[in-house]
Amino acid sequence: MLFNSLEFFVFLIVVYLLHWIILRKSLKFQNILLLLASYFFYGLWDWRFLSLILLSTIVDYYVGIQIFSSSKASVKKAWLLVSVIFNIGLLGFFKYYNFFIDSWVDLVAMLGYNITNTWTLKVILPVGISFYTFQTMSYSLDIYYKKLKPTIHFLSFATFVSFFPQLVAGPIERASNLLSQIDSKRDFNYKQQVDGIKLIVWGLFKKVVIADAVAPIVDDIFSNYQNYSSSTLVLGAIFFGFQIYGDFSGYSDIAIGTAKLFGVELMSNFKFPFFSRNIAEFWRRWHISLSSWFQAYVYIPLGGSRQSKVITIRNVLIVFLISGFWHGANWTFVVWGLLHALFFIPVLLLGKNNTYKTGIIAQNTLLPSVKELLKVCYVFSLVTLSWVFFRAESIKDAFGYLYRIFGNFSFEAYLHPSGYRMIDYYVLILVFVLYEYVIRKNERAPFQFKNKFLRFFVYAVVVFAMLLFYDSGVDRSFIYFQF
Amino acid sequence: MVKLLFKTGVYIILILICLELFVRVLHLGKDNPSRFVDALKVEKWKPNQTGFSVTGNRRQNFSEYHINNSGFNSYREYTPSYDRVEVALVGDSFIQGFHQDYYNSLGKKIENNMNNNVDVYEYGYAGYDFADQIHLVNAYKEDFDKIDHVILGLRYRDDLLRGDYKVVNDRMKLEAPLYQNLRKIKLLGYASNIGILDPVKKFPGKIISFFKNKKGSGAEKKKTNQVDNHARYLKNFKSLISRYGYDKSRFVLLISVSETPPFFMDYLKDNNFEYIDFGAVLNKSKTPTTLIYDQHWNNHGRTLIAQSISDYLIKKINTPH
Repeated sequence: MLFNSLEFFVFLIVVYLLHWIILRKSLKFQNILLLLASYFFYGLWDWRFLSLILLSTIVDYYVGIQIFSSSKASVKKAWLLVSVIFNIGLLGFFKYYNFFIDSWVDLVAMLGYNITNTWTLKVILPVGISFYTFQTMSYSLDIYYKKLKPTIHFLSFATFVSFFPQLVAGPIERASNLLSQIDSKRDFNYKQQVDGIKLIVWGLFKKVVIADAVAPIVDDIFSNYQNYSSSTLVLGAIFFGFQIYGDFSGYSDIAIGTAKLFGVELMSNFKFPFFSRNIAEFWRRWHISLSSWFQAYVYIPLGGSRQSKVITIRNVLIVFLISGFWHGANWTFVVWGLLHALFFIPVLLLGKNNTYKTGIIAQNTLLPSVKELLKVCYVFSLVTLSWVFFRAESIKDAFGYLYRIFGNFSFEAYLHPSGYRMIDYYVLILVFVLYEYVIRKNERAPFQFKNKFLRFFVYAVVVFAMLLFYDSGVDRSFIYFQF
Repeated sequence: MVKLLFKTGVYIILILICLELFVRVLHLGKDNPSRFVDALKVEKWKPNQTGFSVTGNRRQNFSEYHINNSGFNSYREYTPSYDRVEVALVGDSFIQGFHQDYYNSLGKKIENNMNNNVDVYEYGYAGYDFADQIHLVNAYKEDFDKIDHVILGLRYRDDLLRGDYKVVNDRMKLEAPLYQNLRKIKLLGYASNIGILDPVKKFPGKIISFFKNKKGSGAEKKKTNQVDNHARYLKNFKSLISRYGYDKSRFVLLISVSETPPFFMDYLKDNNFEYIDFGAVLNKSKTPTTLIYDQHWNNHGRTLIAQSISDYLIKKINTPH
């Protein structure tokens, strides 16, 4: 059941009305409803994998209590290892088992030994496994680091693990934020509800209009890159950046908006990352829930930047490589992570990683300075370059793609694979960037205009754009569901 | 809660009104001509209507139609005579040609190819099957007897579902006041046209199949059905031509051979039915021959087909009887 499907909206309305009308007086029943709704939501993909969520829930619920109640540090550590091994084991088996086998066979073949590969399995990747395993693991880690007390309410914990708005693609929540809200009485707040609806509309716009509109173009260019000119390949990489941003941030907005409808505030996942002035700022604005997860549970435990430069560089490399690998069982993601590490390390060594910790481009002015604009363009170029690895099917394709861009630059007008006017898409992206610039100060308020008529006009235009760019032939699933 | 539901409802209504305005101002929705059944029980468009047909989102295809006195989309009036060489194109929406300006239609292209030495009358109407076509030719026998060449479009998989002609009431229901009023909502027409309402239309079926968990028929059953269909289609074809008449010296079928089963092609050949294979030229084309949003022929497709028909006519006219 996709967020951008009619089934989801019918499901959402039913659960919403039950939550606020029938069960409004009982938090326990509200949570039972959310849990059942979440299991139903997930079960529609593949009910067999509900057992994995349930297992992960039981393990971390029990481990959390054991870590907290143990007095010996070694026992605490042992219980933490149970959680980490179990969750990483689940992820490793379903997501990476075949990749490691194939890579090992390839390595052996490179050394001159040919072996018949009979170990790979037909494993289906359970939707959202990368997200909920990280979420449950963070619960045990927080208890281990004494940041959190375990809950004794299994129902609340199960709802925290499977909360349907963010179950399949995040934001990856911390128990300190989400579990506490599930455990507390939730009141119907009119403003929160309205904000939720607005975020859902804005998220749908980003998905249906931006991501889905450019998806056929990106697919065409990346599938046939050998036949296209350099200028077209640059266009493909830029459009992929907007596709994945529209897709994932659109999903996140719908998730955050949906959670608001149930009185729950999720963390922000995107804060206009394409306006970043250095790569460190980019990572504070892109997939925030994942980057902060890695920072809290990998980078800092490794020593962060408090040790020698060499150790710091090592830590950065580890975090980015794991982060890349988290995205998928393909070397392309590892190279993508490595590239970002290489972009990040100079910023870190120059001590500029905290330069843009707060504020955004043109914080107190209408327009950015030329220097800011150049910095934004520079970061956007680096990120766009890295998207080639993220999107390519293989390392060979990625290098082939880049070689065609930089090897012998050529220009040729690109024609849409289905014959649509390309000018529509250029105007669309330009208007989108300008609008994001206008709303850049608050990612949670996309329609923050004082003038009522202007605000209403923007609503109408946003919905109208969905009608203009709706294409029934496009695959409507979200990119991050595959991770 | 009540305030939220009320305000959401008000906003939805206001936004829908705005969208209707946008669709009208930008002319994104298509115009809908009225249809009727004449005294000879032929379904056609009400004469003398003009409007614009729009296909796809963002007006991917925008064309003007003009319904003539005879009730068909054409730049000319139909006045068959024995003095001139006249050609009738009879068929469904492909011949009707709402997807192209009426003054640049398939018929006009044929006339241009033939240096305006022939008059082409286009009897195209969306949804016409072979029964509709052959009934039309029979109902207006006096006119069609004066026409030198009658080209009947035949799409095997759709056009031979019945062996007798009856007015299609489902199509005529679209003239009911409810549908006429719904058509006035241009937003609805546009949304339906681009497929955004498809999930809504399919939703009840999805719910039913979710609870019933209906299993589809097996491949074997499908194969048996196909054999049954072939026999039925051939029977229908034979029934229609024996009931309404078919002048093999003047009538020719416009067929895509690649989409027609070999046994039917063999039957046509064995029984001396002439045909023009438009599929061959379309399949050879390296540039698209259909529109983006649907499978109707685009300008290039029409040009290719017009050339095929013109070649046939030139050959036919130059061949002594």
